[in-house]
Amino acid sequence: MAIAHTVKPVTVLVDALCKDHLQGKDEVVRLAVIALLTGGHILVEDLPGLGKTTIALALAGITGLSFGRVQCTSDLLPSDITGLSVFNRETGHFNFVPGPVFNNIVLLDEINRAMPRTQSAMLEAMEERRVTVEGTTHQLPDPFMVFATQNPSDQSGTFPLPESQLDRFLICTGIGYPPEQLERSIIAGGGIRERIAGITPLVSTAEILTARRVVEQSIYLADKVVGYIHALVQSTRLHPQIQTGLSTRAAINLAQAARAAAFLAGRDYVAPDDVKGIAVAVCAHRLVMRPGQTIQDRGELLREIISGIPLPLV
Amino acid sequence: MVTTSRLIAYLSLAISLAGVIPLFVWLETFPRLIVVLGLAIGMLQELRQGRWYIKSWQLNLALVPIFIWYILQYSRSNPVQPVVSVLAIMLAVRLCGEKNTRNLLQINLLALFCLASTSLFDLSPTFLFWLGLLLLLLPVSLIVLTFHAQNSRLVLQNSEFRKILMAALLILLVTLPAMAVLFPVLPRTAFPLWHFLNPPVSATTGISDKVEPGSTANAAETRSLAFRAELPRQTQPPYWRVTVFNQIQGNRWSRNPVVPLEVSIPSGASVSQTITVEPSASRLLISLDTAAEISLPRLKVAPDAVFENLRSFSRRTSYTARSFTGGILTGSVPIRRAFYLTLPGKLSPGIRQLAARIRQEGRSDAERLERAEQHFLNGGYRYSRVGLPTGHDALDQFLFVSKQGHCEFFASSLAILLRAAGVPARLVGGYLGGEYNELGGYYLVSEDRAHVWVEAYVEGKGWVRTDPSRFAVNAATLWSERKKPGIAARLRLLLDALDYRWTRTVVSYDFERQAEQLRSAGAKLQTLEHAMRWRWLLSSGVILLVLLALFKSRKQWFCSREERLLRRFKRIVKHRFEALDGLDTLGLFEIAAASGDIRVRQFVDRYAAAVYQDKKLGPDEIRQLDRLLDELQ
Repeated sequence: MAIAHTVKPVTVLVDALCKDHLQGKDEVVRLAVIALLTGGHILVEDLPGLGKTTIALALAGITGLSFGRVQCTSDLLPSDITGLSVFNRETGHFNFVPGPVFNNIVLLDEINRAMPRTQSAMLEAMEERRVTVEGTTHQLPDPFMVFATQNPSDQSGTFPLPESQLDRFLICTGIGYPPEQLERSIIAGGGIRERIAGITPLVSTAEILTARRVVEQSIYLADKVVGYIHALVQSTRLHPQIQTGLSTRAAINLAQAARAAAFLAGRDYVAPDDVKGIAVAVCAHRLVMRPGQTIQDRGELLREIISGIPLPLV
Repeated sequence: MVTTSRLIAYLSLAISLAGVIPLFVWLETFPRLIVVLGLAIGMLQELRQGRWYIKSWQLNLALVPIFIWYILQYSRSNPVQPVVSVLAIMLAVRLCGEKNTRNLLQINLLALFCLASTSLFDLSPTFLFWLGLLLLLLPVSLIVLTFHAQNSRLVLQNSEFRKILMAALLILLVTLPAMAVLFPVLPRTAFPLWHFLNPPVSATTGISDKVEPGSTANAAETRSLAFRAELPRQTQPPYWRVTVFNQIQGNRWSRNPVVPLEVSIPSGASVSQTITVEPSASRLLISLDTAAEISLPRLKVAPDAVFENLRSFSRRTSYTARSFTGGILTGSVPIRRAFYLTLPGKLSPGIRQLAARIRQEGRSDAERLERAEQHFLNGGYRYSRVGLPTGHDALDQFLFVSKQGHCEFFASSLAILLRAAGVPARLVGGYLGGEYNELGGYYLVSEDRAHVWVEAYVEGKGWVRTDPSRFAVNAATLWSERKKPGIAARLRLLLDALDYRWTRTVVSYDFERQAEQLRSAGAKLQTLEHAMRWRWLLSSGVILLVLLALFKSRKQWFCSREERLLRRFKRIVKHRFEALDGLDTLGLFEIAAASGDIRVRQFVDRYAAAVYQDKKLGPDEIRQLDRLLDELQ
């Protein structure tokens, strides 16, 4: 129960965002903050017009982090993301002009509209946290977080992300329509893009980095919770409908995300509830179903599996 | 916290002790020395943290000549000692040597063998104690050994050790029903094998085949046990009639095996008793006062109601007897008076005068007997076991000079006086009194209770018991009931009661008893009335239910405090928030969130903080959590 005072503002980030700006999107906001705290990336998968971009903007605004945006299209080139060297006539040198990836929070809108080549360039940056252009390696800023959105893949003009690349995202989640009452008020009030532009930051970059270190080092993960994570991973591997279960990286990510979730809940230890709470978001997109079994929603299946695993309570 | 290696060292020492202590008293000197040495070296090694000075193979090599020597010792007349000695020495050697898993297992096995071999010498209830101890220690040792074999540096927490202890206890408990089933079924020996092969030199009894006052100056006393008699407590110190001395030569009374024919019917209240005699060379049977019948298959009954077994008791034996305590044997046929009036060739003038006076004063047998008794009552005689008159005129000295002696003097002189006065008389040998064990409901009679009294024949009445020793001036202090026994005495009586029960129910439980039990069980089933049957069914049903309830709640008894708290928490939440479904699949915080109750939240916060940080709940915390749950309830 001892979250250091210095990082206290980070834990109230979600509440602040949801109360004032992003009504009805608590879960997505929470997951985004978890991704930010674990140094992971988030993929939001839903129909256009449900506020994906708004969330990313709001997150950048309230944390005071720099924000870059890439709108993916089928003719987007890797250099459009990473930046390129431009010849400066006055100095007679090539100057590197950094692309939108050199920001703390990068919104990759409709990532599945980009060509696989561009996608992979982006994903490489996500993994390595640096970009190599024309032989020179440029370090990306820290914190660095990709906030990718994607339209459902059955829409026209999309290149679905391969599994290996989906695995790079810590979290994959949907948004869903807001509840009726909320949607009515949103309709009445109009968009909030303008208001978000004027948001005042609640936390500093240093605070976020400290919080990240706390999450990584000071959140206690008991053996029984590790056992629970392992049981979960194991049962996805043995499930008859699943071809490839969760990888060890998925399990590591699950533990990391659970730590961050515990941190956000104001605790300095992980409870199995934390794992259970973020398991679908962290794991569902990594499951590879058996041919012919793709009809069932992966999230539903995972929820079913989780409900069959007893939580360690003693 | 204790390392498994240390634990195992202690356990193996304890096991060896439990195996070797009961055997120790039966060992010869050499194996005894080796055992003491082995134990000492074993303990030293433990103190020095296991540095081995002697290699295992060297020890094994040293064993070979000892082994060969004992093989040579083995013979049909001496089959047990060599085997037992080798067992003890092997155990001792294993204790000195290096202790790897294999050697430790050997120690366990050898200790068990050592204990088992004590039953060749002795079947005492202490065996049960040592066996119980070993049966508890061995599973613990085996469980710890399996851990130790996996990881020799393992450190056991106290709670883990407690669990192992519980498991061992459970194993012991589980075997109990099996023992209960096997006990009545398995064949058994009712006496130690070794004693069967080599009958021990029988203990000398307090009752000899002759009574000769004046042979020694001091009478020795042994407190060794003669017999136990299970019967209700008697108001008077009971007389245990064993034998009759019917002829006198010089100063010596003995038994003439050709007893003149008589028909004696004992009178008085009838008492049934179970006598358990210690092994002895004597074949005479003991019973309370005069026995009417004794339930032994082969025995000889003399006309004067002396019962004799056809063989001596090589082991502790029980028999039942029915007796009459009137102290009078009514004769329906006239006795051979001449036989019971025979006097030794020479009587001292003093005795002659006294007898003549008695004869003159009394007209009938009854009156003369009363006069003789009066003489002892008014003569100021003292009962004493020391400073006894000796020599051929010992009786004369006793009667008229020193006036002190033990029962032989009293009885012998009274009988002679009676015979000289014309009243047929004989000496009866037996025991008087005994220590009543309230716990076991039996008399404990030791050899020093051996006693001699007189039976005088009164015409018209029969043989009347009279005990001149009771007329001694200090008789009241000698035979009155002792005051309340002290703690040590009571403890001794308790132990003796255990020993007695052990003999009666375990050691002498033989095939006859097995068959009898089966028969009686069958008979009971047949005579069982309907109402009884219902009661029986009901009670067994209740017992079954109780067992089931216990089985259901077994988790309650064998779980940690955390588990108990959690179970209580779940029960309360289920009861209070009925709308919550799938409680079993929810996490604690999910329950808290779903219930929306601040106290549930508080409980979960505190409980989870301990459980998911691998901390133990302190007693204070548990009290607080319990209080929270009380509020919730």
